[in-house]
Amino acid sequence: MPKALSTGYESIRELVVRHLGSHRAPPDFLVITDTSDFFQVGYNDVVLLEGTPYLVTRYEKEGRFGLDEEPKFWVRRAVDLAGGTTRILKFEFHETFDARVGDMEVHCFRSPRKEARILELVADHPNFMHGFAAHDAKGNNVRILEYVPGRRFDDQVAEGDLLHEEYLHTLFPRLLDEFLELTEAILFLHLHGEKHGDIRRDHIIRDRETGRNRWIDFDYAYEQSESPFGYDLQGLGNILLFLAGKGDVTVQDLYHSNRQAFDSLYGEDLNIIFKNRVANLGKLYPYIPESLNLVLRHFSRGATIFYDHTEQFLADLRDARRDLPPAEVRP
Amino acid sequence: MSENSRIDLSRRDTERHILAAVDESPNSRRTVQYLADFFGNLPEVFVTLLSVVQEPDQDCCPTEEDAASRVSQAEEKARACLQSYRATLVDGGFPEDRVEMRLCRTRTTVAEAILAEQDKLRCCIVVVGRRGVSHREEFLFGSVSNHILHRATNCAVMVIE
Repeated sequence: MPKALSTGYESIRELVVRHLGSHRAPPDFLVITDTSDFFQVGYNDVVLLEGTPYLVTRYEKEGRFGLDEEPKFWVRRAVDLAGGTTRILKFEFHETFDARVGDMEVHCFRSPRKEARILELVADHPNFMHGFAAHDAKGNNVRILEYVPGRRFDDQVAEGDLLHEEYLHTLFPRLLDEFLELTEAILFLHLHGEKHGDIRRDHIIRDRETGRNRWIDFDYAYEQSESPFGYDLQGLGNILLFLAGKGDVTVQDLYHSNRQAFDSLYGEDLNIIFKNRVANLGKLYPYIPESLNLVLRHFSRGATIFYDHTEQFLADLRDARRDLPPAEVRP
Repeated sequence: MSENSRIDLSRRDTERHILAAVDESPNSRRTVQYLADFFGNLPEVFVTLLSVVQEPDQDCCPTEEDAASRVSQAEEKARACLQSYRATLVDGGFPEDRVEMRLCRTRTTVAEAILAEQDKLRCCIVVVGRRGVSHREEFLFGSVSNHILHRATNCAVMVIE
């Protein structure tokens, strides 16, 4: 956590000038201590949180964290003027909404408190984004996050333009090793009674500096159910299917590109949530080890048993890993 | 069960004690009706109607007051339900002193709370209705009746369709 500095306007101005240079420093800027109305926090404003000034440098968009380019109006990129490092500021924002999972709806909540708690829990864990919560003058919970530089983990699937069989025996073992590490990280949360809440491919960034994959964006919470970790597990299953299939294998693509494979499929072979994606990949790619396909089929419509706990999923996945070649060293 | 009858442990050996886990759903209503029809006139059958209120995850409530208000609304509904189900059983032939109502709050899953009550009360049968969740819903959200079927020990389980 940064040290508190003198927080008078002139002291902050000196820091802004030091950071931007006198020619680029704005003649005037706002020092914001109450972020309740975060819509008003704009470019070149300074947000003062527990004695540390943060100079806002840009608005964040979902593109950094997610699939589309929707602005995240409660998130800003900023520079910590005390240390000079880039930070992401997430202002206190509560919302409830129904997230679509396939054609089902899950009632979700955005919880700053949850994210703050997990940040504390994972402060020393290499597979999560890091940061801390600070409170503004009105007690709003602002999360100050390290910026994770790097690309999305799943971008690697498309590397090398390999055919599927070659991919499975060369690139995939390393990706699976990395996915195992990521799953262990989720197990770490679950063992501490926490959930990620929004497990998606675009919520894993491969940190350019550490070479480790890191989960980001864990401020979603959802109502209790009989399967407390079910939502996270389906997210993990979907990522595994994407990795094993070298992308999502859809019935539409097969219909146009491989009619024979398409004709071999039944409803039971499809993803239990996403009806247009194939889960029983072993049927299309018979060289996929049975042990791996067994894990994949847990996420198919034909599954008769489901994973309740990440430990079960991880144990089966570790077994499956033994049936694949050693990982190639990343170039 | 009245305090006196609880103390009379010898009754436990002879009474058939059913724990019926209910909520306000139509299948719970059917379950209670089934119990009334099936066991109503049998001697020495004791029913505890149990309603479980899950405390909302704190992360899903902006304030503690919000959480408290949701719990209190859920409890109010559950109490009304229990009263109505009790009346159904009494109408079906159960003596009034053989129908008990219990309302419990939990932070765990509903199935875990039901099984904890079963363990506490030593009921010999746990009865639940089947919500009829789809395969996909069960995958994502789990199923109370399935969890009870898989995890119950020292008791029989009846799942009413």
